[in-house]
Amino acid sequence: MTGAYWGADSRQRDNDEARHFLLGLSRGAAGAMLFGIPMLMTMELWDLGFYIERGRLLLLMIVNIPLLVVLAHLIGFERTTTWRQAVRDAIIAYGLGILISAAVLIMLGTIEAHMPASAILGKVAIQAVPASIGAMLGRSQLGGQAAGGGNEDGKQDEESVEDAVPDAISTHYSQELFLMAVGALFLNLNVAPTEEVILISYKMTQWHALAAMLVSIAIMHAFVYAVAFKGTHEIPGETPRWHVFVRFTLPGYMIAMLISLYVLWTFGRLDDVAPNQILMSAIVLSFPGAIGAASARLVL
Amino acid sequence: MTTTTKQTTSETDDPTWIEWATGMISALLVIVMIGWVAWQSLTEEEQQPNFTVAVTEKGAVDGGYRVTFEVNNTATKTASAVVVRGEILDGSNPIESADVTFDYVAVRSKSSGAIIFSQDPGDRALRIRAIGYTDP
Repeated sequence: MTGAYWGADSRQRDNDEARHFLLGLSRGAAGAMLFGIPMLMTMELWDLGFYIERGRLLLLMIVNIPLLVVLAHLIGFERTTTWRQAVRDAIIAYGLGILISAAVLIMLGTIEAHMPASAILGKVAIQAVPASIGAMLGRSQLGGQAAGGGNEDGKQDEESVEDAVPDAISTHYSQELFLMAVGALFLNLNVAPTEEVILISYKMTQWHALAAMLVSIAIMHAFVYAVAFKGTHEIPGETPRWHVFVRFTLPGYMIAMLISLYVLWTFGRLDDVAPNQILMSAIVLSFPGAIGAASARLVL
Repeated sequence: MTTTTKQTTSETDDPTWIEWATGMISALLVIVMIGWVAWQSLTEEEQQPNFTVAVTEKGAVDGGYRVTFEVNNTATKTASAVVVRGEILDGSNPIESADVTFDYVAVRSKSSGAIIFSQDPGDRALRIRAIGYTDP
């Protein structure tokens, strides 16, 4: 990166960088596809494209930008070291999300030429949010080798392989909470548009709701601390178990709850609804949200 | 703080007060929520859906006369597939009727919709009421 290369070296380096960048792009596209496809094939989300209140759609689209920037800063397409790079990666991920969403929706025949422009835009705009998060995750989860050429040359050196996620990161408490919010948001966007969420909240009694809350919290805690997934968090020997329960699991559940409320509100599911019914829907949606939040802590 | 290394992730054993404050507030909120739901389940008796209909707007539109209304479920049980019928009455005889179906009318919540008649009711009485529903 010093600019002190000349001739063949420099060309070789440019090629490497270009290939490396294209590799990142295609991983991002694959991620957008992989994580976006359940939503791209959900009828309720197509309909939401028509009728979602434009102010709320705008807010969701704007909120997505800082979310992607911070996410890029934490896991990114490249190992981002500066915020400028993070912003660049976020824009690329958003762009990929929009492109992939539009392409898949056209392929599936759900966007047609005779549709009003606002409906087409609405459909793509909603889908682009989860797809862009997917694009960002694709970079870190699919493959993850960021070093140029290692794989392709066949002389991959275990020591030198760089991971998209650095070997040792020290995440601040706020970052940990942020990752949980992203995980919850992602799963919520998958589940919230379906009619099943409100139907379940109507079918559940308060006892079911209580059980759902306790189970969600228990699953969250177990996912991160007990079940031995890769990435399971360890509790230092002298720390009592309830310490991390209070410091991480409960805030995580509250974040899942808040994100659930936000997503339900965005999709217009809370309008003219009584407070206890709002709480019931949020509890239902927090169940997948909690799982998403817990997985995000393990995966990212 | 959380420290992630290639192999292991470990929570710090020296947390800041912010972590504890966040944890305590969350614990409080969770307890309040559990308390609220539990209190409701203990005190609330189940009432079958009960509807009131309020007309919010009337006016001529292309191809007819539109009556917009809100249907309000005042009970503690949600109804689905709620059919609301609007009738224009001449004395007590309906001279025109039209139905509309709501997917859901939730507990103590409102849903709004409209019926479009082919004629202006003028001085004649208008009757809008829920005529049936299913349990979700």
